Amino acid sequence: MAETRDGRVKLTILGGFLGSGKTTWLRHQLHEGRFPDAVIVVNEAAGTPVDDALLSKAARLVVLADGCACCEGRDGLVALLRGLCDERSRIDSGGERFGRIVLETSGLADPGPIIEAIRSDPVLIHHIVVSEIIVLIDAVNALGNLAGDPLGRRQVETADRLIVTKVDEGDQAGLPHLLATIRVVNPGAAITGAIRGSDAPLPDFAGVLPTPVAASDDASGAPLFPTRLAIDPSVDWTAFTVWLSALLHARGDDVLRVKGVVRTAAGRLLLQSVRKTVQSPEILPPQENDPSREDNTIVVIGRGYRAEDLRRSLAHFAGSRSG
Amino acid sequence: MCASCGYPARPGHWTEAGAVDSHDRIRARFRRVEVLGRVLPAYGLTAHDGAQVPGIQVGTLSGNQTIALDLAELWVVAEKLAGRPVDPLDPCFIGGETD
Repeated sequence: MAETRDGRVKLTILGGFLGSGKTTWLRHQLHEGRFPDAVIVVNEAAGTPVDDALLSKAARLVVLADGCACCEGRDGLVALLRGLCDERSRIDSGGERFGRIVLETSGLADPGPIIEAIRSDPVLIHHIVVSEIIVLIDAVNALGNLAGDPLGRRQVETADRLIVTKVDEGDQAGLPHLLATIRVVNPGAAITGAIRGSDAPLPDFAGVLPTPVAASDDASGAPLFPTRLAIDPSVDWTAFTVWLSALLHARGDDVLRVKGVVRTAAGRLLLQSVRKTVQSPEILPPQENDPSREDNTIVVIGRGYRAEDLRRSLAHFAGSRSG
Repeated sequence: MCASCGYPARPGHWTEAGAVDSHDRIRARFRRVEVLGRVLPAYGLTAHDGAQVPGIQVGTLSGNQTIALDLAELWVVAEKLAGRPVDPLDPCFIGGETD
């Protein structure tokens, strides 16, 4: 069962620019048996659905064809998700109910406003937790999209996992440069490759120079960098939230992503934010054998400050001495 | 809906997720104003929460007061009352701590 411990449905957002291979990737994942108990929601910016015909392996498929879910189709998305949650709530937790929703966004969608729509909805916030943002990048057109389109860049910036598709097509010599460029735009996400949905190896790009790309329209142009922030025992959850809420209020345009696990009286909370939006924290099982998850450490990806500033500011808020 | 003040119930704010029971929630509210007390005076503001009514009372030294329902709203209210942006990375928060 994919649902979280507190019974909420996990939502996986699958994004990526137009023609980046979202449906192809998803179709292959379904073929391989991933997302077995998921409802697949496909959003098409154009009024005519096409992709649904390709996703016949889905346990259940819903098409949202009244506009892009991050802007004009937002109300439609909220209504659809509410309907799904409502239906799920009528089945008791031991019954056969879906534990995950996979939302394939339109190529024109920015994942940020979608998460904000869910977080600000009084019903959905209690039913849905965004578990992962997967963004697909097409190796052939990616540099053009990153350089020329602020939306393409915003999609890459907000991802947890980046999948570079069509790695067998296009300029093979340029691929390491592309990967290095993607790493600069989003220093925190895992990057993997895919060919028609199957995993494909990527060349090593350590030390390769990135191609300079212009900053997205809402950014100051400074490079993004990740900061690992250890929350020592003197910093309690309340002090931490006062600090983080102030940071996101003041620097929300520069702090693109915050992610980590924090121990609290209520258990281990998985905290994540996309720009100014923090989603309702998910309570994780007490002992999860996941070595990649380190408790009481959060990763902040942003620009326009020094890593040390974050540590000192947090220590000041918590009243602990930073030395 | 809160029976004593009529505030409609809101979706839980993410900052309130760390509490298990009502005792934790009350403790967290007191701790919250304690933390705010280290920050808001730099902007000439005070924070008070008696845990009697929902929200945090934010005031200026001249007596102007507003209630913020959660921390997201608090920073908006604080900026309005202070008349300038509130920034946790302000030099007065990151340069201090020498005593």
